[in-house]
Formats: sequence, structure tokens, C-alpha cells
Amino acid sequence: MPTLLIAILTLGAVGLFLAMPGGRADTRRVGWVVLAAAGAVLLALLLRLVPGADPRGLFAGFALVAVFAALRVITHGKPVYSALYFILLIFAVTGLLVLLEATFLSMALVIIYAGAILVTYVFVIMLAQQSRPAPYDVKSREPVWGCLAGFLLLILLARQIELFLVPAQRTPLPAPIAEAPGTIEAVGVPLLTEYVVAIQIIGLLLLAALVGAIAIARRRPTTRAESEGDE
Amino acid sequence: MLLPYLLLGAILFVLGLIGFVTRRNLIIMFLCTEMMFQGIILNLVAFGRYPLKGAPTFDGQVFALFLIAVAAAEAALALALVVLLYRYQGTLDANAYRMLKDE
Repeated sequence: MPTLLIAILTLGAVGLFLAMPGGRADTRRVGWVVLAAAGAVLLALLLRLVPGADPRGLFAGFALVAVFAALRVITHGKPVYSALYFILLIFAVTGLLVLLEATFLSMALVIIYAGAILVTYVFVIMLAQQSRPAPYDVKSREPVWGCLAGFLLLILLARQIELFLVPAQRTPLPAPIAEAPGTIEAVGVPLLTEYVVAIQIIGLLLLAALVGAIAIARRRPTTRAESEGDE
Repeated sequence: MLLPYLLLGAILFVLGLIGFVTRRNLIIMFLCTEMMFQGIILNLVAFGRYPLKGAPTFDGQVFALFLIAVAAAEAALALALVVLLYRYQGTLDANAYRMLKDE
């Protein structure tokens, strides 16, 4: 299996390089075909690992949507579409979290990410919107080295995950959490008892970030000519 | 059952990394860091649900909540910086911001 996995990931790297913004339209189409092939084989490989009792169809669907949305976020030329595909990615991850019985966390993810963080991103994108595609969106920076470094890291991670899990696979899987799986009670009680100091610190961090963001954003910019005049 | 989730988390993380390195639009770069957070959240929750030994715990979900809070703080600061830089230079190109570079 390792050689097969490495072959698939290499194929994915080549496909991603071809599909990055900056290439010609037909090479980008070829890249998408390569990526689709690599994704299909990878999905089949992942499905073989999922035991039959688990909802493997749902996992496959959400994983496919997540990887497709992630690829579109980094290959789409228009920032607004990237942000919208990121929301699609959030929903796919939410589905996976529900499969992992983390219902409260999945809803929190939708509310915080899709509802709050992404709205801020879309707002800033619209603030800086330009009438025609900006040159820095059309051409990517060093796609060869970026894809190479990323996929080397991915191959390394996949190897480590595999080696690490070989002893663990022999032990039987833990039973599903019987009562209150991932509800607000199950998550909230440890949050406010065991991790009470951490949640105070996180609150402080959020306050500091808020104050810092306001302090940064309301600063009046001085133009380059003015600052040079000062010197 | 743990392995597919870990692999998917790794794929999301690496795609975010590639996007951060190769894209030149500052907003997309920060969007890619959020994508890396998604991979990590998936990892944490999968490890909480399918621990290598012992019964499943909710610690992974608690850590994921903390991670979301850190991501929110990061998004607020990063977007404030992007807005400020955009007002300075009128572009979102990461290559345009070389004021810190020693020339």
C-alpha cells in the first residue's frame, strides 16, 4: 500500500500543479482530469480502510466534497469564489464531525466559521474588489516548489500515520459513546471544570485580539511621500 | 477508522499550506491558514473519538473549540492588517509589501 499511496499523491501533486492559476486553460483542464483520477483512487483506498458497519458512504461523500472544495479554494482565480468554496469546505467538515459524534462542535463550527469569520472575509474582499481580475490572482507564485514541498510533506505525514497506526489497528475499536454523544453538556462540563483556566485565558486572548484589531484598523495611513518627507 | 480521518486531515492541512505558499492574494493566503485549521480540527476530534487506547473522551472536542477561538482571533487581527496594508498600497499583492525588507 505505501507505494500505491505515494503514486497517488504524486499524481495529485502533478494535477494540482497543472490546475494552479497561471497556466493555460487547456492545461488547467488536464490538471483537473488528473486530480479527479487521483481523487477517485484515493477515495477507493480510503473506503477499503473504513469498516463496513460505519457509514462509509457518508464519509466518502463528505471527504470528496471537502477535498474538492479545498482544491477550488486554492485554484480559483476570483477571491469571492474562493471564500464561497471555503464555506462549502466548512459544511463538509461539519458533516464529518457529525459522523465523529461531535454534534455541538459541528454546529459551533457552522455558526462561527460560516456565519462570522467568512462574512468578515467576504466583506474585506468586497472592500478591496477590483473591476477586472487582478494580476496577483491570475498568476501564482512558484507553483512547482509549492506543490513539491507540500506533497513531500503529505507523503511523509501519510507514512507516519500508517506506521503509527499499525500497532493500534490490532486493538479493538472503542464502542460508540452511548449517552449524550458530543452534546453541549458533554463538551461544556469539562470546559468549565477541568479547563476553566484555559477558557479564561482564551477569553482574554479574544479581548486582546479585538482591541488590537480595532487599534490597527483605525490607524491613519501616511503615504510614502509624506513619510519620506519626514525623514 | 482513525486512519481515513487522519489522512483527510493531513490532505486539508497540506492543501492549505500549498495555497499559502503559492497564492499571492493576501486574503486568500489567510483563508488558506483557516483551511489548515480545518484539517487540525478534524484530527483532534478523530483522536478524541477513536483514541489509541482507553475510552473515547471529549478532550479533542474541547481542544477544537479552543482552536476555533484562536482562529477567530487570528482572522480578526489578520484582516485588520490586510485592510491597513490595502489602504497604504492599494493592492492585495503580497509582493507589494516589502517595507520590512532591508534593501
